[in-house]
Amino acid sequence: MSGLIGYLVKPAASLAIALFFAATVIHASSAEVKEPDGMWTGPMRGETPATLKGAVVVGLPALEALIAEKPILLDVGPADKKPEDFPQDRLWLPTHRSIPGAVWFPGGGAAAFDAAQEEAFFRRLEELTQGDRSKPVVTFCRPQCWGSWNAGKRLVMKGYTGVHWFPDGIDRWQEAHEAVEVEPDKVWNSATMK
Amino acid sequence: MGIAIPIKREEENMIQIVRQALAAALVTVFCAAPATVVEASEADAKREERWQQIADYLFDDREVLPTDTLIRIEAPKRAQDAALVPITLTMPEKDKIKSVYLVIDDNPAPLAAHVTFGPAADPGTLHLRVRIDTYTNVHAVAETKDGKLFSTVAFVKASGGCSAPSGPSDAEAMKGMGDMRMKFAKDIQQEKPSEATLMIRHPNFNGMQMNQLTRLYTPPRYIDKVTVSYGDQDVLNIVGDISLSTNPALGFGFIPRGEGPMKVVASDTKGGRWEQTFDVPSITQ
Repeated sequence: MSGLIGYLVKPAASLAIALFFAATVIHASSAEVKEPDGMWTGPMRGETPATLKGAVVVGLPALEALIAEKPILLDVGPADKKPEDFPQDRLWLPTHRSIPGAVWFPGGGAAAFDAAQEEAFFRRLEELTQGDRSKPVVTFCRPQCWGSWNAGKRLVMKGYTGVHWFPDGIDRWQEAHEAVEVEPDKVWNSATMK
Repeated sequence: MGIAIPIKREEENMIQIVRQALAAALVTVFCAAPATVVEASEADAKREERWQQIADYLFDDREVLPTDTLIRIEAPKRAQDAALVPITLTMPEKDKIKSVYLVIDDNPAPLAAHVTFGPAADPGTLHLRVRIDTYTNVHAVAETKDGKLFSTVAFVKASGGCSAPSGPSDAEAMKGMGDMRMKFAKDIQQEKPSEATLMIRHPNFNGMQMNQLTRLYTPPRYIDKVTVSYGDQDVLNIVGDISLSTNPALGFGFIPRGEGPMKVVASDTKGGRWEQTFDVPSITQ
C-alpha cells in the first residue's frame, strides 16, 4: 500500500496515509480452489480452480499453437455497465478488446441462463462449430473470472469434447499480441436483451 | 532462382533441396505467428482513430497538437492495481498552463478529470489516481492561457479497474465519507512553490461495480467537483468523473503567500457536500 501511495507523499507521512486507506485493501485467499460439481454459482470474480474436468487448460503458448487449427474463440467477459443517471452530456464510449476473431457473448459465463439464453448459447455454438462437437473451442475472459470456467463447463456437460479453457484470458493475450475491439455476438445479445 | 545455364544433375538436385528448404523456412516464418495476430501499425491506427473521436467530442473543432515540452505524463507501464493507478502530470512551462485534461482512451467514460489552475496554484505538477479498464492509451491535454491545446500520451497496462469493488462491502467503503486529509511539504517558504496532497475519503462508486453476492450494481455516487482555495484565491478547480479512484487523492503545487488557511469544498453526484479548512504550516520568509 505504501508503495502505491508513496509517490504522493514524503515517506514519514506514508504510514498514516496507508492506515487511512487501509479499508480499500482486499486480501485474496491463496487456498487452492476445488472444482464445483456443476456450474459455479458463487461470486464471479475470484480465484478459480487449476483444472476443468473434460476440458484442456491452456496457457498462452498452447493457445498460440491451437490458433493454427482455427478454434472458436469464445469471450464471455461482461460488457461495461452504463452507470444509471449517467449525465447525457458526458461521453459514454464503451469498448471491448478481445483476441482477434473472437466471438463475444457478454455475460455468457453466468451460472443460470433463462430459456432464451440457453437456446441462443447452444444454437450459436452449434453454428460456429458447424455441428462438430470435437471442434476446438477456447473459453476465456479476464483472469480470476469464473465466467470462462462456467462457459467451458457448460460445453463439456453438453458433450463438447474439444473444450479449452484459457484462464489467463485477455490480459495474458495482450502481453504478447494486440487485442482488437469486438462487438457482442448479435444472436447472443438479442437473446440476452429480451 | 532463375538459373539458365546448363548444370549437372547433382547440382540440380542440390538446388532443388535448397529451394525446398527455403520454401519451408518461408512457410515457417509466415505460419509461426498466429493467424489472428493483428499488425501493430494497424492496431495503433485504430487507437489513434478512437482518440480522434474522443478529442472531437471533448474539444469540438479545436486543434489538439502533440507536444513534448508543455505537458508530460508519467504512469506505470504496468499497474499493480488497476483501480488505483498513479498518474503524474508535469508541465515544465507552467506559467503558460491554464488547465489540464486527463483522458483514459479505452475507459467507457474516457474523461477522468479536468483540472483548472487558479492564481494561487503552481501548475508544475499534478498527481492523481485513476481506474483503468483495459490496456489503453492515456492522454494528457494541456490548455494554455492563450486557449491552445497540446497533448501527450502514455500506454498503460492495467485491466479491470472500473468494475473492481470500492471496498470489502459498500457500507465499509462509505465509512467516513467526505473526511479529508491534507499533507503539506516541509519547509514552506514565502512565494516559493510548494506541494500538498489532498485525500478525500469517498467510495467514488462508479455504477459499474457489481455486488458479488446480490449481483446488483452499486448505484453510482462519485465526487464530481472539488475546489481548493487559499485565502481568497483559487488553487484548483477539479471536475472529476467515474474514472477517479476510490478515496480520491490529489497532489498539487501552490504558492505560499501566508494569506489564511487552505479550504477544500468537495461535492458528489448524490448531493453530498463537504467543506474543510487546513492551516498551512508556518511559512518562512
